[in-house]
Amino acid sequence: MLTVNNVQIVYDNVIEAVRDASLTVEQGKIVTLLGSNGAGKSTILKGISGVLYPEDGDIIGGTMTFGGKNLIGRKPDEIVRSGIVMVPEGRQLFEPLTVEENLMMGGITRSRSAAADALDYVFTIFPRVKEKRNTVSGYLSGGEQQMVAIGRALMSRPRLLMLDEPSLGLAPQIITEIFGAVTDLVKESNVAVLLVEQNAELALSIASYGYIIENGRVVMDGTPEKLLSNEDVKEFYLGFSESGHRRNMRDVKHYKRRKRWLS
Amino acid sequence: MDYFILLSVSGIAIGVIYGLIGMGYALIFKATSVVNFAQGEVMMLISYMAFSIASSWALPFWGLLAVCVVLSGVVGLVIERVFIRPMLGQEVFSTVMVTIGLAVMIRAVVVMIWGADPLVLPTDIGDSGVEFGIVFLYTSQLYAIGLLALCVFCMWAFLRFSRMGVAMRATAARETTALLMGINVTRVYSLAWAIAAVIAGISGVLLGTIYGLGPDMWHQGLRAFPAVILGGLDSVFGAAISGIFIGLLENLSEGYIGRGLKEISGFLVILVVLMIRPYGLFGTPEIERV
Repeated sequence: MLTVNNVQIVYDNVIEAVRDASLTVEQGKIVTLLGSNGAGKSTILKGISGVLYPEDGDIIGGTMTFGGKNLIGRKPDEIVRSGIVMVPEGRQLFEPLTVEENLMMGGITRSRSAAADALDYVFTIFPRVKEKRNTVSGYLSGGEQQMVAIGRALMSRPRLLMLDEPSLGLAPQIITEIFGAVTDLVKESNVAVLLVEQNAELALSIASYGYIIENGRVVMDGTPEKLLSNEDVKEFYLGFSESGHRRNMRDVKHYKRRKRWLS
Repeated sequence: MDYFILLSVSGIAIGVIYGLIGMGYALIFKATSVVNFAQGEVMMLISYMAFSIASSWALPFWGLLAVCVVLSGVVGLVIERVFIRPMLGQEVFSTVMVTIGLAVMIRAVVVMIWGADPLVLPTDIGDSGVEFGIVFLYTSQLYAIGLLALCVFCMWAFLRFSRMGVAMRATAARETTALLMGINVTRVYSLAWAIAAVIAGISGVLLGTIYGLGPDMWHQGLRAFPAVILGGLDSVFGAAISGIFIGLLENLSEGYIGRGLKEISGFLVILVVLMIRPYGLFGTPEIERV
C-alpha cells in the first residue's frame, strides 16, 4: 500500500538525513522502524506526511507512493485526505484547546457529520478520553495525552496510521494499554500502522515486519523472528550479549567496532 | 462630578475605537504570531476609500459600512497574499519589519491619492445625536459602542464554535501539528488577515464619521497598541476591554492631571502591568504541566 523507494532527504540543501531508504507497508499490518536517536526515522515519517518544508527539509531523490499514487510534493492536507495520518513524537496536542476540540481538528479534512461519527468511534476506542472531553488538553496526564493524540489522528479515519514513538515517557502499564488499543484497531478496522520506536523489544512484539535504520539508511529488515534472532540486533537493540546475559559495559569499544557493519 | 462623567463618556467613546483596532492586532498575533504594525494604516486606508465611496454615491451609513466591510476584507486578503505570504517560513521578526514597511507605504499612498488636507466623511448620520442628561453622544459614537460589542460577540462565537475558528486557535498553538492534521494553514492565515482588516475597516469608517479624516489618522493605531499589550497580545476579547480602559485613562489623566499625559498614559500603564502580569490581563500564560 505504502511504498517508499530509495528516498533521500536533506535539510538545508546539504545535511543528509536519510539516504536510500526503502520500505513497504501492507494493509492491515504493523510495520516498525527501529533505530537510535538521529537515525532518520522521524524524518522519513515527516517526509511521508509532507511536513518537511517548515524545517527546510526536502526529498531530493527516490519515489513514495500510497495506493499507487505519488506522495512527493503533495500538500499535507492532501496527504491526510488520501488516508495517511501521523501522530507526532511527544504527542504535540493543541494544549489550549479542549480534548474534544483537539479531536475535531483531527477530523477537519472530513465533513461535519463524518467527523461527528468519527468522534463516537474514537470514544469507543478510548473511553477514558470521553470522560475528559471538555478538559483543556494541556492539563491531561501523559498517557491520556497520548490517547488523545492517537484518537485525534484516527478522526480522519486513516488507512495508514504512523506513530512516532508512542511509548515516549509513559509508564509501562499505559504503554501496554496503548499498544493493546493499536493492535485491536489493526485487527478490527484493517488499518496499516507504521510504528517508529526506540523500544525495539516492544515494537517487535506487535509488528509483523521491521526495518532497522542507521545513519539514514535501512541496514536490515525482516520479520520480528528474523530480527530478534540476529546477534547484532540482540546486542545493540535489545541489550543482550551473545551468551544471553546483559552486556558488560567494559566491552563498550567492541560495540563501536561491530556497529559499522554494512555501512 | 459632571466633569468626571463627561470625561469618562468621551473616553469610552474613543476607547471603543481603540478596542476595535486592538482586536485586529490581537487576532493577527494570535493566529500568526506576527504583530501587524500596519493595522492603524489599514484602518486609515479603508476610511479614505470610504470617503471616496461616500462622495460618489450617497449611501446611508449602514450601506457604506457594508460596502467597506467587503472592501476591507479584500484589502486584507491582498495584503496577506502580496506582502505576508512570501515571508512564510522566514523569521517572525522579518515579517514584522515587512508590516512596518507596509505601514509607511500605505501612509504615503493615502497622501498621494487623497492629499494631506483633513476631510469630512459624509454620512447621513452626520451630527445627529442623543442627549442623556448632561451627556451628549453622537449617533456614530453609539453605533461604535454597539459595533464593538457585536464584533466581540462574533469573534468569540467564531473562535469558540466554528471549525475554522478552532482551527485558527489550533494553528496558533502548534503550527506543525496543524499541518499534520490536514488544517490548511495558509487559508487560516489569509482568513486572520482578512478578519483583522474588516475590523480595521469598521473602526476606520467610525473614526472617519466621528472625527473626520486626516493624514495622521494612523496615530490611533499606535495609541491602540497599549490596549493590546494590556489585554494580552493574544487575547481578542482582552484587547476590546482594554481599549475602553485605555480610552478612559487617557481622557481622565488629561482632564485631571495635565495636558500631554493623554499620549503617554496608556504606555505608562502597560509598563506597570507588564511587570506584574507579563502576558497581559487576559493573555494566556503557557500551559506547562509538571
